[in-house]
Amino acid sequence: QGANVAFGALKHDSSLPVEIAADQLQINQETGKAVFSGNVEVGQGEMRLAAARVEVEYEGGESSTGKVQRLHATGGVTLVSGAEAAEAREAVYTIGSSEIVMTGDVLLTQGQNALSGQKLVVDLDKGTGVMEGRVRTIFRSDSGN
Amino acid sequence: QQEDAVLLADRVEINGNDQLIATGNVEVLQGTTRLTASRILYDQSNNMLVIDGPIAMTDGADTVILASDAALSTDLRNGILRSARMVLNQQLQLAAAEINRVNGRYTQLYKTVASTCQVCAKRPVPLWQIRARRIVHDEQERQLYFDNARFEVAGVPIMYLPRLRLPDPTLKRATGFLSPTFRSTDALGFGVKIPYFITLGRSADLTLTPYLSTDVTRTLEYRFRRAFRAGQLEIEGAISEDDIREGELRSYAFIEGQFDIGRGYELTFDIETVSDSGYLLDYGYSDKDRLDSAVEIGRTRRDENFRANVTAYRSLRDSESNETQPTIRADLHWERRFTPGWLGGSAGYTFDLHHHYRRSDLDVDSADDDLITDGRDVTRASARLDWRRDWLLGNGMMIGTLGAINLDWTSVTDDAAYSESVFEVTPQAAVELRWPFIRRSAFATHILEPIVQLAWTPESDTDLPNDESTLLEFDEGNLFSLDRFPGGDVNERGLRANLGLRWTRFDADGWMLGVTLGRIIRADDLGQFAGYSGLEGEKSDWLAAVQLQFPNRLTLTNRALFDDDFSFAMNELRASWSSETLSLAGSYIWMEANTLEDRPLDVNEITLDSAWQVDDNWLLSLDWRYDVEQNRAAEATFGVEWRNECVAVDLSVSRRFTSSAAVEPTTDLALQVSLSGFGAGRASQRHLARGCRG
Amino acid sequence: CGFAPLYGPGGPGETLHGQVEIAEPTTENEFDFVSRLETRLGRTAAGPMRLDYAITTRREGLAITADQETQRYNILGEVRYQVTDTTTNVVLSTGRTHSFTSYSATGTTVATTTAARDAEARLMVILADQAVTHLLATAESFLP
Repeated sequence: QGANVAFGALKHDSSLPVEIAADQLQINQETGKAVFSGNVEVGQGEMRLAAARVEVEYEGGESSTGKVQRLHATGGVTLVSGAEAAEAREAVYTIGSSEIVMTGDVLLTQGQNALSGQKLVVDLDKGTGVMEGRVRTIFRSDSGN
Repeated sequence: QQEDAVLLADRVEINGNDQLIATGNVEVLQGTTRLTASRILYDQSNNMLVIDGPIAMTDGADTVILASDAALSTDLRNGILRSARMVLNQQLQLAAAEINRVNGRYTQLYKTVASTCQVCAKRPVPLWQIRARRIVHDEQERQLYFDNARFEVAGVPIMYLPRLRLPDPTLKRATGFLSPTFRSTDALGFGVKIPYFITLGRSADLTLTPYLSTDVTRTLEYRFRRAFRAGQLEIEGAISEDDIREGELRSYAFIEGQFDIGRGYELTFDIETVSDSGYLLDYGYSDKDRLDSAVEIGRTRRDENFRANVTAYRSLRDSESNETQPTIRADLHWERRFTPGWLGGSAGYTFDLHHHYRRSDLDVDSADDDLITDGRDVTRASARLDWRRDWLLGNGMMIGTLGAINLDWTSVTDDAAYSESVFEVTPQAAVELRWPFIRRSAFATHILEPIVQLAWTPESDTDLPNDESTLLEFDEGNLFSLDRFPGGDVNERGLRANLGLRWTRFDADGWMLGVTLGRIIRADDLGQFAGYSGLEGEKSDWLAAVQLQFPNRLTLTNRALFDDDFSFAMNELRASWSSETLSLAGSYIWMEANTLEDRPLDVNEITLDSAWQVDDNWLLSLDWRYDVEQNRAAEATFGVEWRNECVAVDLSVSRRFTSSAAVEPTTDLALQVSLSGFGAGRASQRHLARGCRG
Repeated sequence: CGFAPLYGPGGPGETLHGQVEIAEPTTENEFDFVSRLETRLGRTAAGPMRLDYAITTRREGLAITADQETQRYNILGEVRYQVTDTTTNVVLSTGRTHSFTSYSATGTTVATTTAARDAEARLMVILADQAVTHLLATAESFLP
């Protein structure tokens, strides 16, 4: 009766390498930030993040070192990890603190159940999350016993 | 298909081990059920909600459950709520250590207390409560099943029932006991009536009411009702064995039915039987002193009235014998009204067949109480054609010409004094003049209406008995009637003038005063009304009627018959006055004795019916009948009704002072206590709760 | 003294006569009530105005002897009526009036039932006359 995966399987190793693909890339010399736009695809281990536009900050402000420190995705973000899927208007992924903050009509679905709210903060190390802002949780009736 | 359940909260934590923790204005919505709580933990492994209170769960408008904490399935249909309180239909409160919901239909309450009385901090013990080890509430059947129930009044246990079933406040109709009535009367001693209501399908029911009183009577009262698509039937009666008439089975039965039998015709029947004449009065079932069982087929439409009926009488009066009283009566009446084309005005023809029968065949009057031939039977066929036309004259006068012709064939049998059959033609003619005036002012509108009618019917020397027209009245209704004899067996004859003056004042504030004055002047006294003091002689008594009406406040009507020197033959007064909290209705009657109407003594009686809503809880009522002639009360009933939000107590004490051979003076006391909040019969008394502040 | 003939030219009586269609009776009492109204207001199958009525009657025993025999009955009657304009269905006038008639129950069974039926018929005449009087008194407020 569907994968009865534990609801909170948000655990994820944020130290894995990050690949980013997109239609265009612009590098901003002074700030050291790179802006990917057009069907941006960010991959890290099992996790996939798609967005219209992703702004990437690199460690030490130098895009050359290639070590991503922080991603800021906007224009509608979809995050998929295993059976988990989350959508929102914006998302900020801070690799160092392995924390993702998604804001704006957040929808987290997992198997039968779905949570919708305004803000979702996920701690990838502990695999925990907190949704806020009149959160609606739908329990599918046939998912019950 | 079950609707999905929705959990709403300000904040939801996903803590990884298959659980969600919702906090902040937490709500769960599922179909008509809504639950609010301070914190809910959703455990997906067993699809359960662990809920921290204060919990409030409402299921539509009827059921509210409050609890401190709970564990429920996500669809809220199964699970346990602890230290909970359940309120049904805002009336019945059930407090329980634990409430268990099963399949959304059953709610089991453990170590529970049920009551509809209000509980306040200052008054923790309600007026009554039912303590039970377990109560099961079946939402589908709307029933409450109690185990080991203990009924307590003001904290004192007074009754223990191993099992008890009560309807929940929304149940309109179900088989079961109704509130008992405790009754004590002089004749029957102290007793109790316990009605048991049985539903027989959707359109019939039977109520059986055993009435047991301290070794005086064992009675079973019954009422059966059945609704058909085209009519209804009701049978009401009782069977008794009592010490008043030892070793006899006493009973009565009233059967009433009414059926639409197509093409506008309606069949109605009403059968009344009783085992002995005192039974109805001894038990207070009816104050009828004559039983009339009747079957009738009738239809009334525009301009047509058709009635065919047979009536069987049985007199319960000591002074009458069913041998010499007419016991069978049959009538057929068919009347049509129409507008004659060339003649104008309005006309009508009427056919009447009448027959009444006395069991005795003796054709003379034996030594019984009345002076009427014992066995006389009368059959009559009548045809009547009447016509009337009114002309309006320029000066506002209204001239009416009336004419009628009556053809009567009468056959009298079992009476030596009268020949076999008589045929007679009786014409009637009259001219009526009305000249009403109207006067309007800012304060009132007056209407003054003089009416003079000259009527003539030829004299007749045919000799026929008068069985049906022995009870005569004179009022505004027959002041201008061509024949003041109520039955078809006698016609008013001779030349007479009916004079009337009607003055009515309609006040601008909405009240009305009306006075009618009337008199009959006869060319010569034919003695038809001899013995009837209001109507006899060349000049009848004055008829004076006064009416006063204040809308929704007072109606008063007084009618009197008195002669030129103001000696009254009759005066009847009826008045009723009501305000929001008090309603009074009374009557006064004075009538001279009249042997022709079997009234040996003057009648002089006052009656009063009053009801006073003292406040939300108390209603006092007093009905009283005073015989001025004998200068003592004849009957009095005093009623007290006390209601609050959870109980209604009705106490009535009635005393009948009159006594005779078959009837003793009696006092009848009836007490009914009914717990409100069970069954949807009466309106909720919730609003009567005084509130805890007081 | 301010009195004018009710049926005089232009008076309410004249303008109302033959203009009021009375609702169809369904019981014997209503039949007597309608017959009397038509006698006073004129018969018309279809008029510019229509009168609807509701009659309730109640019977009460009176003058009860020591032997519990009821010697007299009062029949209390009330009629509520309403006049509407048959084209626009606008309510033109409403009224309510009461009265009672009586009959004795001391004669034979046949005489008592005949007297009872006659008392009801008389009550209908009284109620009809009172309704007509009220209608004529208030007619000016709704007649064109």
